[in-house]
Amino acid sequence: MTKFRTEITKGEEIRYISHLDYASLMERAIRRAKLPAAYSEGFNPHMKLAFASALAVGVTSDAEYMDIELTKPVCQPEFFDKLTAALPPGVKLIKARIFEGRHKALMAAAELADYAITVPLQGDFAAAAAAVQAYNAAAEVVYTRNMPRRVKEIEVKQYMQEAVAVVQQGSELQLVMKIKITPTGSIKPGEILEVLAQKFAMPIAVASALINRRGLYGEGKPLIDLV
Amino acid sequence: MVKLDPALLQAVNKPARYTGNELNAVKKDHAKVSCTFALALPDVYEVGMSNLGLKILYQILNDRADTAAERVYAPWIDMEEKMRQNDIPLYSLETFTAIKDFDFVGFSLQYEMIYSNILNMLDLAHIPLWAAERGEADPFIVGGGPCVYNTEPIADFFDFFIVGEGEEVIVDVTECFIVWKNENRPGGRPGLLQRLAAIDGIYVPSFYAVAYDENNMIKSIEPNCSAAKATVFKRVVKNMDVVTFVEKPVLPYIDIVHDRLMLELFRGCSRGCRFCQAGISYRPVRERTPEKLRELAKTMQAATGYDEMSLTSLSSADYSCLGMLVEDLLQDFHEEKISFSLPSLRIDSFSIDLAHKLQQVRKSGLTFAPEAGTQRLRDVINKGVTEENLITAVTAAYQQGWKSVKLYFMMGLPTETDEDIIGIARLAQKVVDLYREVKGKRGVKVTVSVSCFVPKPYTPFQWFAQDTLAEFQRKQQLLKEHIRDRSIHFSYHDARTSYLEGAIARGDRHLSKVIYQAWQDGAKFDGWSDQFKYDIWLAAFEKCGIKPEFYSQRQRLQTELFPWEHVTPGVTKEFLWRECEKAHAAELTEDCRRGKCSACGVCSSLAVKVVDWGKMND
Repeated sequence: MTKFRTEITKGEEIRYISHLDYASLMERAIRRAKLPAAYSEGFNPHMKLAFASALAVGVTSDAEYMDIELTKPVCQPEFFDKLTAALPPGVKLIKARIFEGRHKALMAAAELADYAITVPLQGDFAAAAAAVQAYNAAAEVVYTRNMPRRVKEIEVKQYMQEAVAVVQQGSELQLVMKIKITPTGSIKPGEILEVLAQKFAMPIAVASALINRRGLYGEGKPLIDLV
Repeated sequence: MVKLDPALLQAVNKPARYTGNELNAVKKDHAKVSCTFALALPDVYEVGMSNLGLKILYQILNDRADTAAERVYAPWIDMEEKMRQNDIPLYSLETFTAIKDFDFVGFSLQYEMIYSNILNMLDLAHIPLWAAERGEADPFIVGGGPCVYNTEPIADFFDFFIVGEGEEVIVDVTECFIVWKNENRPGGRPGLLQRLAAIDGIYVPSFYAVAYDENNMIKSIEPNCSAAKATVFKRVVKNMDVVTFVEKPVLPYIDIVHDRLMLELFRGCSRGCRFCQAGISYRPVRERTPEKLRELAKTMQAATGYDEMSLTSLSSADYSCLGMLVEDLLQDFHEEKISFSLPSLRIDSFSIDLAHKLQQVRKSGLTFAPEAGTQRLRDVINKGVTEENLITAVTAAYQQGWKSVKLYFMMGLPTETDEDIIGIARLAQKVVDLYREVKGKRGVKVTVSVSCFVPKPYTPFQWFAQDTLAEFQRKQQLLKEHIRDRSIHFSYHDARTSYLEGAIARGDRHLSKVIYQAWQDGAKFDGWSDQFKYDIWLAAFEKCGIKPEFYSQRQRLQTELFPWEHVTPGVTKEFLWRECEKAHAAELTEDCRRGKCSACGVCSSLAVKVVDWGKMND
């Protein structure tokens, strides 16, 4: 049995697909690549794939991670070339690493996500910068998440790894957010934008924001480097 | 190129419906091709992407270096609203080109209840709705598909129709267009239409004049232009092994209705069920060879990575080499863990054994279609299935481990009595009781699904008066009262939809103004029960001074000239009448594929033959 950990992207072409769609897209790509994927037992065999933290519809990523189990040994260059050739528009294979033994599952290993956001500025930069500064300085900020049946109050600041950074680029703002992923929960970058606009009067067009995940880390390292 | 704001896409449900970029989607530079074709299905992405006919045409057109074919579907309500607010025209999913800028827009006509969506899409595309109002810069609007055997209710919205199987004629149309274009478009739009009308299988409705009498009955339908033929016969592919099939289907990123490969085993079905329009319009039966099918299966699977394949046909279990084919396919795809499905099971133990074999990997429910509740009525419709057949098949299914059975029926069939309706409940009960006899325990789930019969053109029941709305509803109630077992789940269709479908299915050109009115008043996605606005439709009929009953609930005379007779799948009216009389006498007609020829006229009028490899190898 051979296992690979891969670092892959979710590009502009597939920005609007869901995490589940992304998983099935990879499954089909692996079948096209004719890699000897392992399947679960039973009436409904599933390809043995594992992903890290789910990405929301509308968010792209430079660094997604996927573990795959194979039934036969395949060398790294062969794996890399075959999978690369089979990937659809919007997905690139950046790294693939063979690993052995037991490792923390990707889902559990992800501790920190790094996002870059481009959002249209709807006012002056000073007001936007002040809003970010106030947010960074606040001890607690509460976001109200609307769930299907109830609303949930979430304290947001506990998930911030470091201060939100903002710079202006023409009529747009570039923000960087580093968000902790904990066993008890996390916060989405889009939700922080909502908080900034609603509670800190940041003059931005939240709905037009383009969010990109730049990295996903565990133990301070990219997840690919954990194996 | 149409550009979409992220804010707009974030605000709609399932934005990936509108963003394209799928694997195997073909993007060409329109400046470098001579003909551009938008292939449209007037329903949402998930439905449109599941259509086999359009996949085939997409492959054929894009195989040509001089042609670009792109897809377009109906935006869902939320997206339509955004598009109208932001002045975004309807666009194609490959190159985001405005639909208005294509040479052709081809609509697949799957069923009558999506006609309002066609108008909505034309409107969203900023293309004049009425063919007569289109100018030289507008695309040609063409229709094709199952509804093409009576397009009169929508004739005024279309420039022309492709009648029958599209594989070959779409190439004729494209080449004809390119020649006309290179000659600098002589005669303008009518000039091309005249050339197209000379091609077999092309129907240009504006080239025919319809005369009515004082009772609105049709007196005559005559060509008003020398290029138009008196009768347009459908196009038919003679050799299914040679004709192009889908090789690289566009692979959706999101779940679609039929999210699997479709391997078309054969075309046509000659079982001769008298209610079935497809059974007439796709005649004769023409099979692909097992060798060709295995090759196609491999090509499509390699191009997509799908793990599911459906062996499709009107009646797949009738494929003459099915046993062997299934063995071979299971062998071919053993490693890939592909699961296969047979969408249409015959009611016999052969089918059950096959289904069992196919479901080695995955297990789902079984579906049978007895269609009617009593033997007498099943004979009327020439279903050729006995209660014993059903009992044998279901027994085999239970023995193989199935615990859930779905039974399809129709109500409102000709000569139907309350006995026949109650017969549905009795049959379902027998299927439930059988489980305990076979397995010695409870735990079966039987779903009884009953649709309302809509008589269709070119069937032996085309003369028949459809049941009234009240009668359908009474029969649904009656059946409900007779289903008492809790293991039986009863589902039935909204009779109001069938009532409207009935009027449009056998309607004439007068209906175009009703459809236009209904669309103007907000009708769209009428096939979606949550969107269907019955009152708008009733009001539209009223506003136009037309009674739907005239088309649907009138017993027609043997001699009546129908609105659709100038466009034909090749079957003779005499054959249909003979079948109609046999129906009333509850007499059966053999399947001509293996039994006696019933002289329907299709083979002789189209110079085509039945292709059955099992029979040829005997």
